[in-house]
Amino acid sequence: MIDWIVWAISWILMLIGCVFIVSGAVGLIRMPDLYTRLHAASLTDTGGTIIISLALILQSVFVFGSAMAAIKVMLILFFTLFTAPTASHALAKTALLCGQVPVGTDGKPILDSPEEATLLARSRPADYRSGQDAEQAKAEGRARQARRDRKGDGH
Amino acid sequence: METLVANVLLTFLVFIAIGIIVLRDLLGAVILLGVYSLIAAGAFVVMDAVDVAFTEAAVGSGISTILFLGCLSFTQHKQKPRGHDSLAALIFVVITGGLLIYGTLDMPHYGRADSAAQTHPELAVRFLEQSASEVGPPNIVTSVLASYRGYDTLGETLVVFAAGIAVLSLLGLKRTRREDEAPEHAPGDTPSADVDERR
Amino acid sequence: MFIAATIAILVTMALTLARALLGPTLFDRLLAVNSFGTKTVLLISVYGFMTDRPDFLDIALVYSLINFLGTIAVLKFFEFDDPGSETYQEDDF
Repeated sequence: MIDWIVWAISWILMLIGCVFIVSGAVGLIRMPDLYTRLHAASLTDTGGTIIISLALILQSVFVFGSAMAAIKVMLILFFTLFTAPTASHALAKTALLCGQVPVGTDGKPILDSPEEATLLARSRPADYRSGQDAEQAKAEGRARQARRDRKGDGH
Repeated sequence: METLVANVLLTFLVFIAIGIIVLRDLLGAVILLGVYSLIAAGAFVVMDAVDVAFTEAAVGSGISTILFLGCLSFTQHKQKPRGHDSLAALIFVVITGGLLIYGTLDMPHYGRADSAAQTHPELAVRFLEQSASEVGPPNIVTSVLASYRGYDTLGETLVVFAAGIAVLSLLGLKRTRREDEAPEHAPGDTPSADVDERR
Repeated sequence: MFIAATIAILVTMALTLARALLGPTLFDRLLAVNSFGTKTVLLISVYGFMTDRPDFLDIALVYSLINFLGTIAVLKFFEFDDPGSETYQEDDF
């Protein structure tokens, strides 16, 4: 009985995980610009890894009877949960910093210029939370940029 | 199933290699090289060469990516566009590659029962049975690497060490020169005047 | 079950690889490569269970860390043009 339940649950988890990662890859191919692709890929990566790892943990405990394998899968899951979102965040931030302008739903860029994207990346997150004090944030970003340039020259 | 996984991974390798050749952006090529060795390591895992896979992942995907990036930070990201493709170089490369592939034809196929290691098991049996008393470590691969073929390993380590020193000296040389160049407008040092005179 | 998962992961890897080869910008390639690394970790884990040898999980564990390291190194290079740079400021992140 318990074998049957474990078998069914791990099949279901594995199938859901497979659907997650395959749909993430399709999104990676079909989405229009970098940030939407990032969204599609990173979310489904993390989700799929969690679900498939759960299935593997079930299998290793009940079928293989190996607690060590379960602990290793948990460690993999733990590291993935730390590293994957960090890598996605760093990727998006660096892309913005290098002047990749996000595209809106109407197919037009939502920022005026790559420089503005760089300024946006240099500003604090709170500056852009409402969008009202955008000008002030831009000014702060410019000031930071200028400070950075000065330091760069002095180097 | 194992054959299928190995074949799919090897097909990925071919596509990535073509991508690396076609790509003009050197940074992109470095990124793809990282995937290349990751897939190669996956193929090694599938073929049961777990220690090789470890090495490939750590060296190929980790360290050499960072080394390549260090090199790129001294040079440019873009490959120089060349007007002509050298036919002689192509012929040379094709001949070399053909010879290498011809050389592999003499090797036993993957997992064949009539390979030398299977038909002459005396050495393997000796390693398995005697290495604990002869050398000591419980891991037989370690005792083979460090004792039975110790001179070979020593030579390998020397070669890698020499290569590391060479790379470090090249990079260090470049860096000191860069620091010397930094005060471009220093008095007495007028490279722009030289250029003007030559003109 | 493990065979189905392996095939799904291989299909995913193929699609991700297509994005890595097509990707118009370097960031697309990097994203695809990072995602590909996660898929490799999953593939090795599932493959280990498929062949009744969960010992392969050690390698998957190492890969997940190396993959992160490589991605961060490349990103750091993008920003500072030097993976060994220590001149970044607190303002940037």
